[in-house]
Amino acid sequence: MKLFGEWVIELKNNVKLSTKLVLFITGSKVAIVLMFIITLPFLVDGIVSEYTNYSLRRQQNKVINVVKKNGINHYLQGDDSYGSYTMLKEEYIALEPANKGLPIDTIKTEQRIIEQDTLNYRILMHTFNFQNKSYLLEIGKTVSSINQYNKPLQRIALYVLLSLIAISLIFDLFFTRMLIRPLGKIIKSKLVDRKFPFKNHAPLINTSTQDFKFLDASLVTLLDQINEAFEKEREFTANASHELMTPISILQNKMENMLGDEHLNEPEALKIVEMMKTLNRLKKISNSLLLISRIENEQFAKSDIVNPAELIREAIEEITHRFEEKGLSVRLNLKTHISIKKVNRDLLFQLFYNLINNAIKYNVVNGSLIISDNIESNGAYAINFEDTGIGISIEDLPYIFDRFRKTNLTENVGHGLGLSIVKSICVSQQIAISVSSEVNKGSIFRIIFPPELCK
Amino acid sequence: MKVLIVEDEKTLAYEIEDFLKKAFYICDLAHGFKAGLEKMQINTYDFILLDLGLPDGDGLNLLPQAKKHNPDAAYIILTARGNLEDRIAGLDLGADDYLPKPFSLLELQSRMQAIARRKFNVKEELLPLGDFKLDLQKRLILLNEQQIELSRKEFDLLSYLFLHSNRVLTRMQLSEHIWGTFADDDYDSNYIDAHIKNIRKKLNAWAPTEFLETVRGVGYRIKK
Repeated sequence: MKLFGEWVIELKNNVKLSTKLVLFITGSKVAIVLMFIITLPFLVDGIVSEYTNYSLRRQQNKVINVVKKNGINHYLQGDDSYGSYTMLKEEYIALEPANKGLPIDTIKTEQRIIEQDTLNYRILMHTFNFQNKSYLLEIGKTVSSINQYNKPLQRIALYVLLSLIAISLIFDLFFTRMLIRPLGKIIKSKLVDRKFPFKNHAPLINTSTQDFKFLDASLVTLLDQINEAFEKEREFTANASHELMTPISILQNKMENMLGDEHLNEPEALKIVEMMKTLNRLKKISNSLLLISRIENEQFAKSDIVNPAELIREAIEEITHRFEEKGLSVRLNLKTHISIKKVNRDLLFQLFYNLINNAIKYNVVNGSLIISDNIESNGAYAINFEDTGIGISIEDLPYIFDRFRKTNLTENVGHGLGLSIVKSICVSQQIAISVSSEVNKGSIFRIIFPPELCK
Repeated sequence: MKVLIVEDEKTLAYEIEDFLKKAFYICDLAHGFKAGLEKMQINTYDFILLDLGLPDGDGLNLLPQAKKHNPDAAYIILTARGNLEDRIAGLDLGADDYLPKPFSLLELQSRMQAIARRKFNVKEELLPLGDFKLDLQKRLILLNEQQIELSRKEFDLLSYLFLHSNRVLTRMQLSEHIWGTFADDDYDSNYIDAHIKNIRKKLNAWAPTEFLETVRGVGYRIKK
């Protein structure tokens, strides 16, 4: 189980915008509801007591007006004081003479005993003069009757709020979804699962949001620019290596003719041989670059069905002399009977040949090469080329497929395009390739054919 | 044998001519589409070496017309366009062989000889090589009717050296002939030497092999 903290960190680091918005909106609404619930009792109490005070004052004015109109005896009717209360003692009014010179005008909550019942009242006390006499007017309202509506009021307010919040939440979520939907579309159509080069043009997303329009258009432009640059590089490689062929051809044939001259002396012959070796290197580089650009231009039909084990045996056969020369042993551990479809046979042969050649080149004398295969859990077919060579250091690993990159310059390792060819074949034939290596122990090149190519 | 070289790169055409003349071919040069066509209309050739990238037309278009005028000639396409489609198109149009540039002149001559054997039914007698006799058609080496076992690559090496007798062939040229595009780029490897050693060992058991010379620092030669 994940700890909450871990979960939060994960959330912080890798969350979709829509999820974040939903979380934020919901969170803010919950906070509002909580604040409201906390403040509601105080609020209701405040309103109720304000209103009670107000109504007590109104009643006071009414009483005084009546007294002014009808005279105080209308109430006192000869008695010293006057008192009246409703049947349930929820309200009472009292009038009594008061000491002169001590005017009182307050509203406060106090206890009164009415007919043996001690009750809490909100009481207005007000002194006034009438016909040169001072009277105290008391109007009281039981606290319980005042507060009786508090609870239902709070509840209703809460319900109304909750339903409003729920409605607004639904609207918010709906609209934010709608609002950011173009973003999702842009990501899906322009960025997710796009394989370089981006050939099939995804259409512009239909949106009225200017920012998204801009983002979408910019992405399309950027992808186009990348494509264009790549296209140019490819074209250049193809043209340059192609254009080199004729001059190389002339030089090679001239040297061959010179070497064929019977009057040639030994030092001159040796010089020509050296020149031919250099020229041959140039030829190999041009040929390899041309091959890479042809692979990248998809000039090889992918319509063959091949048996990889058979091809590997052929490649080994082709290169047996190199194994013998270095005293290497090769062990084939290919147990799976499988055919690979929708590939190019020549390219696959070249792939195996280059990997085997590589394993020989970087191997130690009397070392070994083990070629084994297995079926992955998802049905993919994997072949491992495991050598006992000098290995590749971790710093060099990311670059071994780069053109002209040579990882170990102490060895005579050729032009450094062998693995670039391997890489471009893999890309063109949808084969995955990975390398693990340990210096002075060896390397394992692993190629994986996806299940859809396996037959 | 008469050869027409249709190649717009003059220097290259001269080198090919130079080489083939030494091998006793009679050469004619044409540096363009039209010039080539004209020559074909007037003369008949045994071999027509055709460059595809001509300045005034595509060699692939020249091929069908050329075949009208010279139906019996052997056509070899020489081109810097090494892609598969061109190769297939050329062979479909009736070319006998296809050499991508840059090619070795030794290879060109060897291909021409192979075509001659195949196409013109040139019945070569058994060719003498020291005390041995070579049968290039059946790919055999004999000593008084006795067949000597050589591996495929060993025979290829020996016959290539034989074809270019009196010429020193470098290890690189030999390995390129044997392994083609897969010839290795590390030149100081001694696998050609190993093969030669084997050939000598196998032949020496029957008769001396002084004809097969080692030329120090350069390569090997069969001396006739």
